[in-house]
Amino acid sequence: MAIFPSREWVEAVLQAAEKSEKYKEAAKDWEGDFLSIIEGDEEFVRDLSRREGMEGFISFLDMMPLEARRKYNGTPMGDVFEKKLGVPLDSPADKFSIDEMLSMVSKLSVEDLKGACTYFWSDFWHGSVRAMKPVAPGEHEDATFKLSGKYSAWKLMVSGKQDTIRLVMSNKLKLEGDMSYVMKHMKAVVALTKEVFAGVPID
Amino acid sequence: MYFEIDPKVREDKGLSLLREETHRFAEEVIRPAARELDRMSDPEQVIAKDSPYWDVLKQMKKLGYHRIFIDPDYGGLGVNATEAHIILEELGWGSVGLTTAIGVDQIAPAVASLFAMGDVIEKIVKPWVEDTEAKYHGCWGVTEPECGSDYIMACEESFLPHVKELHPGEVRADEDGDGWVINGPKSSWISSAPTATHVGLHVTLPPHDSLANGAFCIVPLDQEGVTKGKPVDKLGLRDDPQGDITFDNVHIPDDYMLIRPPFYEFRIGQIICTTSCFMGTVFTGLARAAFEEALEYSKNRVQEGKPLCEHQLVKQKLYKMFEKVESSRCYTRKIMEHVWEKTYIERTFDASSRHALSAQIYGKRSAFEVAYEALQIFGGYGLTKDFLIEKLFRDARAGLIEDGTTEVLGLAAAYNIVQEC
Ligand SMILES: Cc1cc2nc3c(=O)[nH]c(=O)nc-3n(C[C@H](O)[C@H](O)[C@H](O)COP(=O)(O)OP(=O)(O)OC[C@H]3O[C@@H](n4cnc5c(N)ncnc54)[C@H](O)[C@@H]3O)c2cc1C
Repeated sequence: MAIFPSREWVEAVLQAAEKSEKYKEAAKDWEGDFLSIIEGDEEFVRDLSRREGMEGFISFLDMMPLEARRKYNGTPMGDVFEKKLGVPLDSPADKFSIDEMLSMVSKLSVEDLKGACTYFWSDFWHGSVRAMKPVAPGEHEDATFKLSGKYSAWKLMVSGKQDTIRLVMSNKLKLEGDMSYVMKHMKAVVALTKEVFAGVPID
Repeated sequence: MYFEIDPKVREDKGLSLLREETHRFAEEVIRPAARELDRMSDPEQVIAKDSPYWDVLKQMKKLGYHRIFIDPDYGGLGVNATEAHIILEELGWGSVGLTTAIGVDQIAPAVASLFAMGDVIEKIVKPWVEDTEAKYHGCWGVTEPECGSDYIMACEESFLPHVKELHPGEVRADEDGDGWVINGPKSSWISSAPTATHVGLHVTLPPHDSLANGAFCIVPLDQEGVTKGKPVDKLGLRDDPQGDITFDNVHIPDDYMLIRPPFYEFRIGQIICTTSCFMGTVFTGLARAAFEEALEYSKNRVQEGKPLCEHQLVKQKLYKMFEKVESSRCYTRKIMEHVWEKTYIERTFDASSRHALSAQIYGKRSAFEVAYEALQIFGGYGLTKDFLIEKLFRDARAGLIEDGTTEVLGLAAAYNIVQEC
């Protein structure tokens, strides 16, 4: 079981994509990167208040170089870390005291998370996932597609519990970009959820 | 007399049983009720509380026929394409009108079961699939007074570059607080509108400039602002009432908006793919019914000293009818399997619309051609109300217009052929 999002989850997803012949076949014509935007919500607070959740999330952010993390400063997500959890996001990893942060998370409300987003970027290319990593706000704004939504909706998608199409059609996730391209490559989208994401159980 | 040409189906005991059971229901329940409804002089009688229409609808719901197209994960019947095809051909054999009623019934909940989440599942889909008393009944609102064939064309993705040449649509939805407000009229041709509790409704969205800038939603019809007209008195398919619905500031929650941009533009044709398979199949049932009537009659009626079927000319007609029924079954079943795969198995919603539309056209045209020749074999008696054939002929004639004229469906398919082939 991996935590979403975490370094472990990203590595497992990359491996699952590499191993899945079904995904490679379904996505063999796909060309296009995604900027994914995860908006904090109640479930995010709940997951952060578990030790594994907090550790996982920190490990995910730690995949970014310091200067990228610095760009979160002054954004709602940066403020949550700096002002509510007591550690600016651009602190070195050993400065993150999980125990202290866990004690502060309990005081966090959904209101505090208003506008707090985490960004990650994935580059899908002819059946392989060339990159998947957290990025700073403003980076990869020119991605071919943008997918945004609440953390709970993202979890439904990456757990494979809900298909991407249902999440997008019911407005739980918002997809921006050339829709006719997506429609023509629906197989790739379905395979990503069914064959790759669903193959990495999340906690 | 029925011989199943596909050995996989013929040798499967479960499928044979399914066909026999559905056939019995079609013969004992649907057909007699449909004939009774067909003969009612006033369409108001068809929709009256004590009408056999309701008995049949209840029995169909008890048997789960209202769940054929609903996602099995959300209470659908869980049949595969072949099973769905077998059921629908038999029901269509019983009567296309009442089968249309159970077909349009499930369009909105089926779409919700495939694409929606949250409230609409709890409030609409769940009670719908559990209903065995016909407390809920759905209809499908596409065409409008000024926008008949235009709406059919707008649903073909390959026609999109030309969509602005069409009428921009009359039924509009505008954002209203946390939901939508709907205004405008749907045509007099909405099947089951006079009896329906809900409609799966096509609307346009601001700036209301094109039918492609649209959405599909589900609207409960027991609300203030909904007006229904009288059921239409018409030539065929008299056992399924059509009527108009007008919306005057009717509110729905945001959840009830099931398909919106940009999916509407690119994917609404997939609903037509499914309904096209449905239509092609039920009209195959009608074609078979007409063929069987003619064959039987031709064996009993004697002219020039021998049964009609012993005359070369009649034999030739019977052969052609047989060929149409069999080819229609094979073709519509194949296309049903394709559309089913894309919709319920792969879930890529990218079925080939030219094939689906052609299945509808082929089934409807076969039904009309077979019913036309069948009636001819009956001679003068074919025109009387004593025989079923005149009803089948009238129903088949209505089929050439219902759900899109065969010409316009062909035109839509042709745009797809030219673009994709
Ligand atoms: C029994 C029955 C049931 C129905 N059920 C429903 C229902 O459940 N829901 C619903 O929304 N609608 C329903 N309809 C409406 C049906 O879809 C329309 O009647 C059909 O699409 C034709 O539209 P129209 O009647 O407005 O004719 P028009 O669009 O006015 O067409 C008139 C004639 O012009 C031809 N024509 C139109 N446009 C073109 C073109 N571009 N090129 C060449 N020829 C053209 C047509 O083929 C037709 O012969 C039903 C109709 C019937 C008869």
